[in-house]
Amino acid sequence: MIPSATMSRGAWLAVALAATLAPAPAHAYEFWLRAQTIGQAYQLRDYQLVGPDLFLGRRRVTQTLALRITDVGDLALARRLARLPERGLRISWQSYLRIDHDFGDFTSGSVTLSNPALRRDAIDVIPELSDSVAGLDLMYGFLQLDGLADDRLMIQLGRVLADDGWGTTGIDGGIARYQMPESVAPIAIAASAGLRVRASSPLGVTSYELDGTSGAGCQEYVEGTTPGTGAWQLIDRNRMITSSRLTSDYAYCPQRDVRQPTVGVTLATTHTKHFGAEVGYRRTWSDTVGLIGPVDRLDTPDLGLYPNEFGQAPATGVDEERLYARAHATFSVAGIAIEPYGDARYSLLHALVDRADAGVRLRRGDHVLEPALEYFYPTFDGDSIFNAFSIEPTTDLRLGYRYGEHGTWRATADAWLRKYAHEDDTSSFAGGGDAGIQRVIGAAWRGGLDALADTGYGGRRIGGTAQATWRGDQMFWVRGRVIVLAVAEDATSSTLAAHYVTSSASVSTTWRVADSVALHLIAETDHDAIHALQTRAIAVFDLAFAPEP
Amino acid sequence: MKARFAFLIVLALGAGVLAQPAQLEDPDWSPVVYPLQRLPLIFSHQKHLARGTTCTTCHTTATSSQSAVDNLIPTELQCRGCHPIDRNDPAKQATPTAACGACHPAWTAGSVVQRVYLTPPPLKFAHAQHGQTACETCHTGIRTVDLATTRQLPTMASCLSCHKSGSEERHCADCHLAKLGGLIETQFEHGRLVPGRDGLGDQHGPGFANNHTQEARQAGNTCNACHDRSECVDCHQGVVKPADFHPGNYLALHVIDAKRGKDCSACHRTESFCIACHERSGVGTRGISAFSVDPGQRFHPLGWSSQGPGPNLHAQEARRNLTTCTSCHREEDCLTCHSAQPGAAFHASPHPVGWRNSARCRALDRGNRRMCLRCHVTQDELGCDWSKR
Repeated sequence: MIPSATMSRGAWLAVALAATLAPAPAHAYEFWLRAQTIGQAYQLRDYQLVGPDLFLGRRRVTQTLALRITDVGDLALARRLARLPERGLRISWQSYLRIDHDFGDFTSGSVTLSNPALRRDAIDVIPELSDSVAGLDLMYGFLQLDGLADDRLMIQLGRVLADDGWGTTGIDGGIARYQMPESVAPIAIAASAGLRVRASSPLGVTSYELDGTSGAGCQEYVEGTTPGTGAWQLIDRNRMITSSRLTSDYAYCPQRDVRQPTVGVTLATTHTKHFGAEVGYRRTWSDTVGLIGPVDRLDTPDLGLYPNEFGQAPATGVDEERLYARAHATFSVAGIAIEPYGDARYSLLHALVDRADAGVRLRRGDHVLEPALEYFYPTFDGDSIFNAFSIEPTTDLRLGYRYGEHGTWRATADAWLRKYAHEDDTSSFAGGGDAGIQRVIGAAWRGGLDALADTGYGGRRIGGTAQATWRGDQMFWVRGRVIVLAVAEDATSSTLAAHYVTSSASVSTTWRVADSVALHLIAETDHDAIHALQTRAIAVFDLAFAPEP
Repeated sequence: MKARFAFLIVLALGAGVLAQPAQLEDPDWSPVVYPLQRLPLIFSHQKHLARGTTCTTCHTTATSSQSAVDNLIPTELQCRGCHPIDRNDPAKQATPTAACGACHPAWTAGSVVQRVYLTPPPLKFAHAQHGQTACETCHTGIRTVDLATTRQLPTMASCLSCHKSGSEERHCADCHLAKLGGLIETQFEHGRLVPGRDGLGDQHGPGFANNHTQEARQAGNTCNACHDRSECVDCHQGVVKPADFHPGNYLALHVIDAKRGKDCSACHRTESFCIACHERSGVGTRGISAFSVDPGQRFHPLGWSSQGPGPNLHAQEARRNLTTCTSCHREEDCLTCHSAQPGAAFHASPHPVGWRNSARCRALDRGNRRMCLRCHVTQDELGCDWSKR
């Protein structure tokens, strides 16, 4: 049997379920729970050239559980009872668990392969469906030790969330954060190390992968008779696809399953009132799996991923190596609060700045104006050949406006212009904008209108949205939204430019069953030139409901 | 013309901002932390302090108070220490004043005295722990006012002038009330606690749920003092789309956003997320629409990947926004043509002009040669000084 990431996930799923169901001694620690039960039911089309399209049911149940246990061991109890700020060692636990299962035709159904005509489980033909069919994901779960070293040191151990330069990612390892003494510098140093969470990690999450490329269709290098004459081919391509209900037996990608050590460090200002800055570094690498080994293995079947007849394959490869910096400030001139900000990320692996932005938020009274520039150069995981293909960056100019954060009338407006810089030093553009107003009417009603228009690369859209909310009491409220958009898709990527009007209506209700328990129901129906009528429904049972004011 | 129009819009918006009066509400005193008070009294701190009265003469319990909910307002008992109040003689003439109406302005004989309402702030604070600090250090301006209001209560900024670590997220609960689990309590009967406008970002106004990039990215932000990390993960790694993020019927509409190169990766891992749906619905390499004999149903136009002379439109798309391509294609689709290996159809180089010996080539080759080995296998093909002959 061929091991695979999805198989490994299934095994871990079983282990985790067993561990969850096992009896455990009760403790009386202070804890906080946030749970959601989400049910979704809708249909998607499987487009058919001949005959009517097929409708694939998507029936999805998701259960989430966020847990915080504070002051494990009651180490801070005495100070808490004395109403003193908590100091000294405190131990806490934070985790977020998600169980997800899609049992509709979309993932659990089958497809017909044309040559030869075979009917196989969809998941075996499309391995990426494995992410949806069944999952037990630990998004994060860590033990936190706070208040060490005279309250300057904090340590998190477990599956932690660490900065990756433009967001966060999961790491199985730890983070240590040290606040330097004020007399030395108002700076905190944070370091993280561990294994980057991958789909193949225990209770792993696909979305923490560096990027989504080079997924299921992994290849192996099969040696030729002399060094350098081998060829790449899909791993076990001639193997008959069999049927497997929950996992794909086609997804065999050893390089995707290998461990990815990662280290990162950040320096950030603290206790600075009107200014904040941070610089950071992250490096992630992985060993090369399936090295071919000595040349005398030429006559044996090759299970290696990379050619290495003369030692050309590296023992390890860098998957990401980035330097990043960000800064923001706040000051006031002539009654206008001014908040400039800037971020930049440099990829050492690609030797270029791949993301940057700069802007300023101007606030006076209830008005906020925000011009900003954003630069984006697509880069990929160090293992991806897409790094050699992607060479044209984009630059966005944005202008945003907000009015009346808490007033009876609220308004928003945004405009953007995107410049594509081509390889031959020419440029093309896309741009657009949207604007909307909201009106609070009495205690029960709230209404809003939004308009959208954009054009340029990709196509054109123009239309608007009307929405209303009724909240008669604190126990039940209803929202409705209608959207109409005229669309003209760009002809550069399809033979015929598609012009159509799409309309969508949705109604959602919230029934507050108890103080922090609510049932949300959402129904949506769409109509356009391709789809005469589509409907979908979502139900969310929320055990930690906090109503918006 | 378009530039002029855009300039006029910017000008109008700018004029609108500048034409507004200065900010009316004072951001230093949140109405949630400092709830509205009703003080139907006549009193002058200025006069009392000028006469040498100390704070603790009247606020006798201040030095021993352990909680912000303690009522430290002097009662009639404290006033009687100096003022010869006699309830049997409400209009008593004396020095210092002793008549009821001298302090209770709306009071008339036979009526009920209007009560003082002071909603305790939702904070943790112990005056007893600040016994060594002079009162006026925190209660600034008290010597210049008659009736003290919320404006003479300390602001968070004044607290942080001593408690510098208080600006750290992990110390928010030192002063603010926390729920079970340590998150700050933000929902109160009299309003919702949101960050101030000074330095910590937006007041969570309209659109904030969909546009909080800068706040979340700022060094030293305090988001997780109030929000559990699971709230971020609900959307950013979520399985259910937030109802108001994508417009309705986004399945049909997402095409344009994807082509324009909108960054979807904050919530979706592009290839694994997109391929599953595209392949399953027949809008991928497996599906019939990519290879249809009917040109009207082809996903890509004729000449999309011209082998030899032709428009070869896909090259422009790939250079501009490769993430769109990866929603259907895996690497091996590219390698069919773009590879230096014998098995490749056309040995077409995907590298841009100037790639040879470029800093980018050297950095990628140095950092991870595995990527290079997908196309270049033999020894003389490797390295950045090699060129196809």
